[in-house]
Amino acid sequence: MKLWVYVVRRLILLIPTLIGLTFIVFGLLHAGGTTEFIKDYLNPRLTGPARQAAISDLIIRFHLNEPLFVQYFYWIRAVLGGDLGYTAVQGGVPVSTALTWFLPNTLVLTVFASALTWILAIPIGVFSAVRRDSVIDQGVRVATFTLYSMPIFLIGYGLLVLFGVTWRVLPIEGMLNEQLYTDLPSSWFDHSFAVSSPTHILMFDAFIHGYWGVAWDAFLHVVAPTLTLTLALLAGIVRILRASMLEVLDQDYIRLARAKGAPERVVNNLHARRNALLPTVTTFGYLVASLLGGAVVVEDIFTFKGIGWWTTQALLMTDVGGIMGTTLIFGLVLVLANLAVDILYGLLDPRIRY
Amino acid sequence: MAVAFGSKARFDDLRLSARVFLANKSAVAGLVIFLGFLIVGLLVTLTPGLMGIQDPGVFVSNAFINANVANCSGAWPEPPSAAHWFGTTEYQGAGGFGCIDLFNLILKAIPVDLALSFFIVLIGAGIGTVIGILAGYMGRYVDEGLMRLTDIFFGIPFLVLAIAVGFVIGRTLLNMAVALMIVWWPLYARYGRSLTLSTKEMAFVESATAAGSGRWKILFKHILPNVLPPIFIQISLDVGTVVGIFSALAFIGFLPTDANLPELGYITNQGLTLAPLGYWWTVVFPGATITLFALAVNLMGDGFRDVIDPRRRS
Repeated sequence: MKLWVYVVRRLILLIPTLIGLTFIVFGLLHAGGTTEFIKDYLNPRLTGPARQAAISDLIIRFHLNEPLFVQYFYWIRAVLGGDLGYTAVQGGVPVSTALTWFLPNTLVLTVFASALTWILAIPIGVFSAVRRDSVIDQGVRVATFTLYSMPIFLIGYGLLVLFGVTWRVLPIEGMLNEQLYTDLPSSWFDHSFAVSSPTHILMFDAFIHGYWGVAWDAFLHVVAPTLTLTLALLAGIVRILRASMLEVLDQDYIRLARAKGAPERVVNNLHARRNALLPTVTTFGYLVASLLGGAVVVEDIFTFKGIGWWTTQALLMTDVGGIMGTTLIFGLVLVLANLAVDILYGLLDPRIRY
Repeated sequence: MAVAFGSKARFDDLRLSARVFLANKSAVAGLVIFLGFLIVGLLVTLTPGLMGIQDPGVFVSNAFINANVANCSGAWPEPPSAAHWFGTTEYQGAGGFGCIDLFNLILKAIPVDLALSFFIVLIGAGIGTVIGILAGYMGRYVDEGLMRLTDIFFGIPFLVLAIAVGFVIGRTLLNMAVALMIVWWPLYARYGRSLTLSTKEMAFVESATAAGSGRWKILFKHILPNVLPPIFIQISLDVGTVVGIFSALAFIGFLPTDANLPELGYITNQGLTLAPLGYWWTVVFPGATITLFALAVNLMGDGFRDVIDPRRRS
């Protein structure tokens, strides 16, 4: 089978997965029953017959008296049209608006953290494997095992105490120093929702508009969450890389390279490292899943206003719209990331054909 | 690998496995710590008095902590001392704040955490493995259908899915376990399927078919004995992971703040509000207990993995 046939096949198989995913989310939305669902749309001051009339209006508006399957199709139509209902965060805004506010911040956090993870993991994993059982290798193994076993919020809190309390070098809460907010002009910063435009990422927006000090401070607020997420991911990736490198170093072609007299540096860097990196591509999926799960906890620790923070807020506020919106977006991102990983793997390794 | 149980070859196989495992010192250390946790859990459950717990209370209920304030006094947490080895910590009870011996509390939490994580992983692994083996062994439409179902659940990060499930069924300790069970099985479905697929292609399965063995006989006699050992190792690893996820869920506020549960993640989480005021021990000891347990399980699981890896045993 050719690669493009495989890609098309995977894209078609995506459809039942997406239907199932949306069905779960739809089920979440309706698990509380009619009263729970229309709660947010009902004026609490209405009483008596006026309230009854408002309720029946809403039942008709949202097709709540139709069978569940029919409701699902109405809901899907609304979702495809960008109407995802309302969430209680920031005093009540459309879910689609909240998505555009919070998703960019999470993207910044996860992109920074995964980039830093790979920059650190490759040399550490390769070095640890090449100098197998040396003191450094033992140290790396102890450190990765311990980090791997630590709950992520403990890592986060450790960094928070270290940077924010003991050394006082990094801000540890929110997106920007409180005092700086007042200087921001309302032309590109919405003060009532604390959202900047056009990218909704404060660091970049301040940079675009020439507010260097604000941009720098916003960047500093990203550092501690990024480091936490990196440390949490690093251990797992280093372990996989080290095992993969060890396996490659045991192969016949490495022995051949050594036998023909290639210097150790060339053997490690040219023959072994490239082949060791290949299997780790499969761990991209694992990486994305851990990134997203980790982002929930990390954003909660540092009050970093991304999708993860929104999820925990929605849980605490019993906000149906928020839970639905975040589950949907997390699901979509993960499903698409897994698809991308499978295709990428097919492109990188010519031996794999489907 | 597939050798009749009780035969000489089987015995040699076990002896070789034991030797490979014992050669790995960190794995042995992990096993010892893990067994230590199990013994402490059993002792606390069976003979609470011996472990210095006056009132074991009822597990998984609010009355539990409230019943045990007699052994400490003072409005604020006290540092570690001879009387309180790990110091004391605070809890928010029905009648305001109170304090409790931290060592005592951690001891009581250990069996609760152990029981819940075993419960979650065993049920999740049970469901997932059955689905995975069926999908891998039956193939065709069964495989397609079951794997699409697995993909759907796999398509949501487990922490988010657990939050969503908890949101629907309510945020209590037992519901948290149920939510994690729902999250846990897809992993085993995938793992069980891939193990079944690779075993199905082996020569001994082919010869069994040629010898006229039925489908079900092959499944139970030839496939299962080869699929289950790696699954058991995964289970042993996951028991450590679950305790960490528990604590992450407790941290993001899955459990009500006045639940007063003897659960390690919850205790650590309670301590996080006190630690910034200088009461570091309220976080360090329960947090270190979680880390130590997960570390022991990971080291042990790594050792087990070496045992079944044919390349490592020569």
